[in-house]
Amino acid sequence: MKTKYYNRLLKFILFLFTLIILSPTFIGFLGVLFPAFGYFPALGGNYFSLNFFNDLFLIPGIKKSLLLSLFIGFFSTLLALFFSQLILLYIFNTKIFYYLKIIISPLVALPHITMAVGLLFLLSPSGFIVRALSPWLTGYDRPPDFYLIPDEFGLSLILGLVLKEIPFFLLTSIAALEQFPANKLFNVGKSLQHSNFSTWCLIIFPNLYNKIRLVIFIVMAFTSSVIDMALVLSPSTPSTLSIRILQFYQSTETNSIFIASNLALVQVIIIIILMLTWKLIEMIIKHNYFFLFSIKFLPRKKYFLEKYFFSLGLFLIFLSILGIINSFFWGIGNNWYFPNVYPETYTLDHIISFFNENKVIILNSLSIALIVSILSIFIIIIWIESCDYLSINKPYLEFLIFIPLFIPQISLLIGLQTFLIKVGFQNYFFSLIFIEILYVIPYCLILLGPALRGINKDFLSIGASLGKTRIQRLFLIKIPLIVSTLLTSFAIGIIISLSLYTPVYFIGAGRITTLTVETLNLATSGLRQDLGVATIFQIIIPIFILLIVAYLNKKFTKWVF
Amino acid sequence: MKNIKSKRNSYKLFFNFFFLIFIYCNPIFALENESQSIENNIKINDNWKIILNKASGKTIFFHAWGGGKNINSYIKWASKEVMQRYNIKVNHVKISDTSNVVARILSEKTAGKHKNGAVDLIWINGENFSFMQKHKLLFKDNWIMNLPETNNMDFISNPSLLNDFGIPTNGMEMPWGVSQLNFYYDSKYLKYPPKSAIELKKYIINNKGRFTFPQPPDFVGTSFLKQVLIELIEDKSVLKSTYVKGRHEDLLTPLWTWLNDVTPFLWRKGINYPTNYMSLTQLVADREIDIGMAFNIAHASNAISEGRLPKTIRGYIHKKGTLANVHFLSIPYNSSKKAASQVFINFLISPEAQIKKQNKDIWGDPSVLSMNKMLPEWKNKFKNLSKGIATLSNEELQLKLEEPHPSWVKVIESKWIEKFGSSK
Repeated sequence: MKTKYYNRLLKFILFLFTLIILSPTFIGFLGVLFPAFGYFPALGGNYFSLNFFNDLFLIPGIKKSLLLSLFIGFFSTLLALFFSQLILLYIFNTKIFYYLKIIISPLVALPHITMAVGLLFLLSPSGFIVRALSPWLTGYDRPPDFYLIPDEFGLSLILGLVLKEIPFFLLTSIAALEQFPANKLFNVGKSLQHSNFSTWCLIIFPNLYNKIRLVIFIVMAFTSSVIDMALVLSPSTPSTLSIRILQFYQSTETNSIFIASNLALVQVIIIIILMLTWKLIEMIIKHNYFFLFSIKFLPRKKYFLEKYFFSLGLFLIFLSILGIINSFFWGIGNNWYFPNVYPETYTLDHIISFFNENKVIILNSLSIALIVSILSIFIIIIWIESCDYLSINKPYLEFLIFIPLFIPQISLLIGLQTFLIKVGFQNYFFSLIFIEILYVIPYCLILLGPALRGINKDFLSIGASLGKTRIQRLFLIKIPLIVSTLLTSFAIGIIISLSLYTPVYFIGAGRITTLTVETLNLATSGLRQDLGVATIFQIIIPIFILLIVAYLNKKFTKWVF
Repeated sequence: MKNIKSKRNSYKLFFNFFFLIFIYCNPIFALENESQSIENNIKINDNWKIILNKASGKTIFFHAWGGGKNINSYIKWASKEVMQRYNIKVNHVKISDTSNVVARILSEKTAGKHKNGAVDLIWINGENFSFMQKHKLLFKDNWIMNLPETNNMDFISNPSLLNDFGIPTNGMEMPWGVSQLNFYYDSKYLKYPPKSAIELKKYIINNKGRFTFPQPPDFVGTSFLKQVLIELIEDKSVLKSTYVKGRHEDLLTPLWTWLNDVTPFLWRKGINYPTNYMSLTQLVADREIDIGMAFNIAHASNAISEGRLPKTIRGYIHKKGTLANVHFLSIPYNSSKKAASQVFINFLISPEAQIKKQNKDIWGDPSVLSMNKMLPEWKNKFKNLSKGIATLSNEELQLKLEEPHPSWVKVIESKWIEKFGSSK
């Protein structure tokens, strides 16, 4: 009787908990939905209307912005997936494969903006590549009047996104490969005299795909509405839809908030269109005839383009590393004029003065990240434990947590911001942490969830038979068993929080600034030295965190089974 | 006993307060009556003490453009000083566009948030000011006259301190600095920079891809368009009146033809533009473009001393003069820390802070104070300030063009975005 009462109470608390976690998503969505239809009484919009939808195409250059967002979202996801699989299939079952995780972890940890800056340093007409070839090869004594970046069609933005998402797809794919006997399947394919490429296409990828589909959709939603990278790499006349939304949001015109909300809703629609398109293509490919067709026509022998694509993929990773090294040089170089490949003088002044001036910002970023990550992990453990206790096993509940990742950040945050101003809620720190948790939890859950659930039940029943309570079992058995995953997801939480731009921009409202926001400010004002320094910090901090976690991992994990 | 005394005191304060408001809200009293001004000074002191008391221990949020490293460190220095002297904490909220902040204050007002606004102090001028004034988003009239350091300004012989883009400020914003559109080039490669809109057009067409301006609605970008318009328009006096749709549309045609001719020959064919004037510096340093521009007259010299531009860079302005304006500090109506903001502003316009601001190694922004009104010791210090290698002298900067009426700004911006900012 008593336990029944407790159960009910716990269920209620869990329900409330879910509600609180999801409320920002809900509020944000409503906050964008109503103004999109012209309803926002505080600003004089008292009636619902479709006016703003009708006027949508009257905004100069909006068609191109829409197309850019569609184009960039689709192709950056597709290409990143393609190249990540290509790299995997080529090195699967080789020695490098086991080191791959270590090589790409720092790349995953880099904020998007860092990658964008690296590319800018490399590819602009006064960038490293032209410098390296001038004047001995090109004859340029000044930067040429052509440019690659940012280009009119958003290709450089796609390149930047692909570079950033390849490591992410690699990491998630590796994790997914561990969930089914990929090794055996791969060998079966090879024994049927298939090449790596056709084995991957026919046997491994279909298995893998189901496991990373969620991630693909997340990446697609993100890339099509990305802001920080687009501010640096997208064309500016006109820009992508997300940037246009930002511009309208910032305008002083009284009805611009309606237009911004309207466009934010359109951004949601664009992402739905993208997902539907993806799903459609998926259905076509899944269709049996298509499958048979590919079995028949995919050459068993080495696929000749495979090699070139693989080199291209490696080249892309090399490019991102080169861009990062270049940022380092800008951070410590002085008097570096075209066409010098290296700076004339080196100095640590920039780093020291940047650190002195931005101590507060760095400390802010770190403390927010720490709090957010700890809270997220705490919430996940409570969530999973209480679900387990109540034997609730409904996958859709978990799906709810991922919802914020499918809604474009800008749409959600514009709605939330409008709501916060309306309510007059002033605690920027609290709201920011609350919102960041929303974005950090899903990533932590991806790692922590399977680990926590996958614990051998026998250990727990032994614990129970020894008279340990549920809480004792959690702390004495479960957590020690998953300590390594726990630490990793803790690090991921910190890194994700550090790299967030849009939430800090909107919710922090300038009152709270983080390193990523500051880097973007510097990127748009073109001070390369400072930008280089900011980039250095953005690289060093995540890597440092990864190193600490690796060290702790070694120290805490006394045995492996 | 104690109670009665404090009560009496508070009556006194109350009375004084209203008396002072009466006096200072009235520009006639504040500016023209000499004998009264001495008396005022004493009262300013009383009133000022009240303000100082109120200000102590407060934290204010100063929303100011944060794209300039030297400006940021100057603001940091000033914040440290007022922390030490008056126990006021200043948080510099680094913004990229002032109109965002104005939009925020407006949305606070429409949402009925008349107290505890997010913004306590704002760096502003031009159309943003006129927008705020129009929507009644600013602190009361003539508050600037209450600040003791205002004594060092000469409003009578320098009316631009009370006029922002031709609009009377009614003392609702405090002059902070003076700026003038100026250009710079590398004298090593370029002997005769183009010194008028027409010469510039020829130069751009002959030197494909070597000129650009920040993308409007950036402040400097829009100002450059205004500069071209003023040089090309026949009757400049029209620009002083409000823009009337229909009547004034044709007057902009010379600007659009100029841009039509020039845009294909701009840097990156006018498909991309730099974000602001700071990015121009980098482009000039890399020699991607030949000519840079800025509103801060010491900008190029600053960049040289920081090792971001070569030493051969020199400055110039157009033959007919260039746009000049004053930039201001203002307090939103819904700030709850107006006293602290006023104390900070008072410090920023003190000779001590202004001389530091004018120093070329720190910011290089000319002071708004009048030499005749300052104490002799400060006067000498100001006279002894040296100027940077690429900075023009006061004589060279004498030709100043007045800003057009703010209503022209929005028109020029939105038409530019329509015609050139969103490819067809």
